Amino acid sequence: MNPDDPDGELVRRVGEGDVHAAEALVARKLPRMTALAHRLLGDRTEAEDVVQEVFLRVWKSAASWRPGAAKFDTWMHRVAFNLCTDRLRKRREVALPETWDAPDPAPLADAEISAEQQSDAVGRALAALAPRQREAIVLTYYQELPNREAAALMGIGVDALESLLARGRRALKARLEGADE
Amino acid sequence: MSEMDLNRFETLVAAYGATPSRWPEEERAAAEAFARADSRAAALLAEADSIDALLFAHKVAEPSRTLRAMVVEAAPRKRRLAGRAKMWWTGLGLALAGASGMLAGSAATAALEPISANVQLYSQDVPALDYSTEEVAQ
Repeated sequence: MNPDDPDGELVRRVGEGDVHAAEALVARKLPRMTALAHRLLGDRTEAEDVVQEVFLRVWKSAASWRPGAAKFDTWMHRVAFNLCTDRLRKRREVALPETWDAPDPAPLADAEISAEQQSDAVGRALAALAPRQREAIVLTYYQELPNREAAALMGIGVDALESLLARGRRALKARLEGADE
Repeated sequence: MSEMDLNRFETLVAAYGATPSRWPEEERAAAEAFARADSRAAALLAEADSIDALLFAHKVAEPSRTLRAMVVEAAPRKRRLAGRAKMWWTGLGLALAGASGMLAGSAATAALEPISANVQLYSQDVPALDYSTEEVAQ
């Protein structure tokens, strides 16, 4: 285990069959993994399927988890990220009509708009982003991964990550303000 | 401290937003110094801040209790292993108790009855029973 890994001790205890450690790990990671999968997939049910699979792999790997370069949280992100991108790839393999486009989010001009409506609008705008832009934004902003970790997870360099982030942010703003990109 | 100019600052803020804690650690100090020193930084930060506010308006629901319970239920448990071990030890205990009971019974029988032909009788196949011998034993 990476000695600086804040999850290291907990994972070791999970590997020994300590159910209290498992509960603590779930409390610590379940919301984080659910948010990641939900934002990448845009679907709560699918996100829950992915999260269950992630934790099954955690339970299987905990006893044999050994010190390494990656922190446990990074490893979990990689597992969840790969499961999500596999699902997204399968979705894209299903032919869509040429005219298909994600629905435009409602503009946020109305000052009276509720927090829930605003959240929904941003969720739709996120879902409408190009997949790689969405991945970059989710990993960097919502999951708060350092830029190198996010870039490594996506298999790109930091420069490419910054480009995706900047384009994604501009596209998101344009969609939410109802303006053309 | 790394080099920071307007071009790099603009790129940084466009990618990572207006909050310094999100800027790459190795460039953070230089970027913060640039923001304080260059009047053009304020407009860039204000623009980025408006997009940050949109991004962080997005909330996702907390995981359901059902999901949490299902995930925890699948976790490895020491108790299960202990339970299996307990069952194993219980089985072994019963077996030993049975064996010792048989031994005790045999010993008691041996104490009550003379050995002689009985030992030979029990070691022989049943079809080969010698009724005359059995009668002797009775």
